[in-house]
Amino acid sequence: MIFEFRLPLISPHMSEALIECLYATPGSTLKTGDKLLDLSVNLSDSFSQDCPPISFYRIILREKAVLRAYRLACGESCKVGEVIAVFSTDPDETLDQPAQRGIRLATAGIIHHSGMWTGNVS
Amino acid sequence: MEIPLHLGPLKAEGYKIHRSGVRWLCEPGQMCRANQVVAYFNLSIEPAGTRAISPVPFAEERELQVACAPRVAGRLMYDSDAAPGGYLSVIGVNLWDADDVLGRIEVDGASTDLDGDAGRARLLLLAGRRMTPLVDVHSGLLPGWNGRSRGWWCEEGETPVTLLTLGICDLTGVIMGEQCAFMEMFRSETAPSQFVFIPDHPIAPSAPVLLDQLERSPAQFQAISADLQAALSKPGIAPTADDWTFAGTMLSALQRCPMRETYDLVSASGLSRSKPADAVLLSLHAEPPVILRHKTLGYRLHVLRHHQPAAGPALRHWLASAFESVGRTTDDIKADYEKLIDAVKKSTGARVLILNRMSTSGDENISTYAPFDSPMSGTLANIASKELNLMLHDLAASRNIGIVDIDAMTADIGGGQHLPDGIHQSRALQDLVRAEILHLLQGLRPEKRVPVR
Repeated sequence: MIFEFRLPLISPHMSEALIECLYATPGSTLKTGDKLLDLSVNLSDSFSQDCPPISFYRIILREKAVLRAYRLACGESCKVGEVIAVFSTDPDETLDQPAQRGIRLATAGIIHHSGMWTGNVS
Repeated sequence: MEIPLHLGPLKAEGYKIHRSGVRWLCEPGQMCRANQVVAYFNLSIEPAGTRAISPVPFAEERELQVACAPRVAGRLMYDSDAAPGGYLSVIGVNLWDADDVLGRIEVDGASTDLDGDAGRARLLLLAGRRMTPLVDVHSGLLPGWNGRSRGWWCEEGETPVTLLTLGICDLTGVIMGEQCAFMEMFRSETAPSQFVFIPDHPIAPSAPVLLDQLERSPAQFQAISADLQAALSKPGIAPTADDWTFAGTMLSALQRCPMRETYDLVSASGLSRSKPADAVLLSLHAEPPVILRHKTLGYRLHVLRHHQPAAGPALRHWLASAFESVGRTTDDIKADYEKLIDAVKKSTGARVLILNRMSTSGDENISTYAPFDSPMSGTLANIASKELNLMLHDLAASRNIGIVDIDAMTADIGGGQHLPDGIHQSRALQDLVRAEILHLLQGLRPEKRVPVR
């Protein structure tokens, strides 16, 4: 079975997010509680502000799955609803089929850290 | 009925008070609330005689203005052609005359319902100390880039209670208001008050930074200045304009200690000089988990991440090489607060108020905390905020601080709508926080003070 992770509407004011860092490697089997990635939501993306209203989040798996591919890399931004990663239940399943559903994930607000794109690469 | 709105008295013994032509902030015929600022003037205070009186009041504050508000609600009528406009509404072409009439207020009801002072404007005095004298912007209230902004109001014979705010974005809007001129505070509080605001650029007001400011000697400042000049003069270093601008403003901030400062006041009572602030308002969000400490001189520095790009490459290199990063646990932050509060108490006696943090979020859906390593406050923003908020309560058990509980206020009205990123509030939330701050200030007013035993 194919699952996908689309950028959810984490905040009612957001329209997009930035991929801050990726934890899991494509091809690896992930279990409940494994970290997938960190992302940031900057509510002033479309209207530059000196003190950006930016929040950081970690995405964590809530079910077992094989990470097959990321559709975005660190430092790339994505729109709400855009596919960020694709998963399957078996490692060899073809990806030429529609996703059955979204993968079950948890979202946690986190503190900025040195492994992030923002403030370190940007 | 219609009542004339006149300026009312403003005195400065030994000086002449000049005002510019009027600048209106509302249209003729507009309905105005009581205490709503409707117009303002630039002010200048010049010696009345040929001999200057020393020290000259407001010598450091090139921006000096007075804003006017009616004491009663009604429809404001004025002759828009009467304002001279142009530079005559910038420079002090008129002597202040208490009887000058700004306009008229059409109010409902009979004249017997009105107080005798209903036609006398409430005056909001504004003073700005420019970050550099070069910033001579002529338009608006408290225009330009001010390293210190303040607004005060009092009736004849009254002494304002002063609140000094050393916070970041979560306090800027609450204190300064949407037009950055204390207008919301002025509208909300009629008791004699002064609000002083120090911005967070280029140095954020963390407790260790403020403590260093309070204890720094002139010789220590000279050492800081010499070290920075040496760093920017090294062979192979070519500072840019951004480097010099950042360095200059940083030195300007490091040289001053806002908590010790006193304030010139002009009012209906005349000129006076107030003592240092009665209360100092800080923001818990200004306490980072890592702070910079100079490797040889030992002073602490915190530059908010979004201000760092304003520095040029030479200054950024200096920050990276001359300073070390020092981690701070919640206990460290508490200890820093204790030292600061004790030093403030000894120095000026001011009460410290601290705005806490929102510690919940509807944006999360954590079903188990098992994936997060201990200590979870090192990763999870809301747990870090809860621990820091609890720390403030521990602090309050041993020190006379006031906690402005934005966490509770936000939980009441909804963080998603009113505090979406945990820092920048909606107007409704700012109103609530402002009311709480004013409530805390009530306890500092002379008639409410309880003797300390």
